[in-house]
Amino acid sequence: MKKNAQFMFVIFLLLFSGCDLFEYHPYDGRIKGERNINYKNILRIEEACRDKDTIRFLFMGDTQRCYDETVDFVTAANRRTDIDFIIHGGDVADFGLTKEFLWTCDILEKLYAPYVVLLGNHDCLANGEEIFRQIFGDENFAFQAGDVKFVCLNTNALEYDYSRPIPDFHFMEEQYRDSTAHRRTIFVMHVRPYSEQFNNNVAYVFQEFIKRFPQLMFCLNAHDHRLSVDDLFEDGVMYYGTPNIEKRQYLTFTLTPNSYDYEVVDF
Amino acid sequence: MIMKWLTFEYRRRLLCLWMLCAVISLSTQDAYQKKIDKYHEIWTSLIPKYVKLQYAGSMGFLSFGTGWDYGKNNQWETDVFLGFIPRYSTDDFKITFTLKQNFIPWKVRLNPSFSLDPLACGIYMNTVFGEDFWISEAERYPSGYYSFSTKLRMNVFLGQRITYNIPASKRYSANAITFFYEISTNELYLISRIQNRYLTPKDYLGLSLGLKIQFF
Repeated sequence: MKKNAQFMFVIFLLLFSGCDLFEYHPYDGRIKGERNINYKNILRIEEACRDKDTIRFLFMGDTQRCYDETVDFVTAANRRTDIDFIIHGGDVADFGLTKEFLWTCDILEKLYAPYVVLLGNHDCLANGEEIFRQIFGDENFAFQAGDVKFVCLNTNALEYDYSRPIPDFHFMEEQYRDSTAHRRTIFVMHVRPYSEQFNNNVAYVFQEFIKRFPQLMFCLNAHDHRLSVDDLFEDGVMYYGTPNIEKRQYLTFTLTPNSYDYEVVDF
Repeated sequence: MIMKWLTFEYRRRLLCLWMLCAVISLSTQDAYQKKIDKYHEIWTSLIPKYVKLQYAGSMGFLSFGTGWDYGKNNQWETDVFLGFIPRYSTDDFKITFTLKQNFIPWKVRLNPSFSLDPLACGIYMNTVFGEDFWISEAERYPSGYYSFSTKLRMNVFLGQRITYNIPASKRYSANAITFFYEISTNELYLISRIQNRYLTPKDYLGLSLGLKIQFF
């Protein structure tokens, strides 16, 4: 019995020594691995799409607490050779735990195509936004693919109790002024106007402002966990909402010089 | 004659009164002493019997704790810890508080100096201080918007311990030192694991190490 017990103790210690298994706290913010992912991938996207007249990208989102489905999405996306990049519409984490970000990153980094990730409302929970900022980058960012500018915005106003300008019109104004290089514009956000998260006091103003951008094509959103295709303001600007990854669906957009097309894909 | 009777009666009454007082005062003194003893006993039982130092375990980088063991074979332990988490990639350094209940069902004596606890298990509740963390969501949210707390975590653990019983001649302030390790997880990791085969034990289980210094 004594020998057995001693033996068991040694075995247990050996099993767990040498692995980085020490957990300090679910919200400890200890990040291993890549940082500034959006920035690095934007360089890849802009470089690869520079002289392209047809651009194809995937739009998905709300991968929170759905690692199995996210793995399957990566496998499905990697089977395609016709895509230029992927946009994740936000909600990487469900509880804002540091490990949720790391687990999802481990899965997404296996994507062959470059990808960018938006800030979702669940990513703001606890100190999630601080983690998001380190791993992916700024909450508002923009990039250009061919002649199309993608303006990606944090629209999760409710998370900040309206204490921060969300959506950030200052950032949008900067993007507006910097409108020389692109011919067309697409807005991407986690939460679309008139959602409970959006700052609906400025929903109409927001819409009027984004329409001033060069040839606004359409808007993309996640958050609602269902497919939606709506002319939200009845002004001809379409809002496409992606199903959450749990539904095993994503959207494919193909931008041609004078038009675009979309498709709902099951995987 | 009347005087004498009065005096006698008076004396008798005085004597009775004195005896009564003595009995009362004796019994009150006795009750008082008992109460004081009880009072001392209660406060003495609250003196922590050991201190603990724990590394990792979802309660901080390092946690300092103290507590009480009780039960027939001291198989129960209740600890309180204060832990700290360095900033790492976040804006703030954090402090945590933990209430931990341990159950150590068996003790195996290896030799006069060493004994082994083949199993130590239990649950602990951890709370992290800071304005980023709430017990229930703020009023601005529709009710039930996020149905969990970012501030409170329930953890479960399994572990083992080895104890060195310090010989009486070598004791300085402690009579035993215990080294322990634990494997723990919390309810959010468990929910994530239940829904995803992708997550492996190294994802949702955490290892921690600790020392317990037993005073008495």
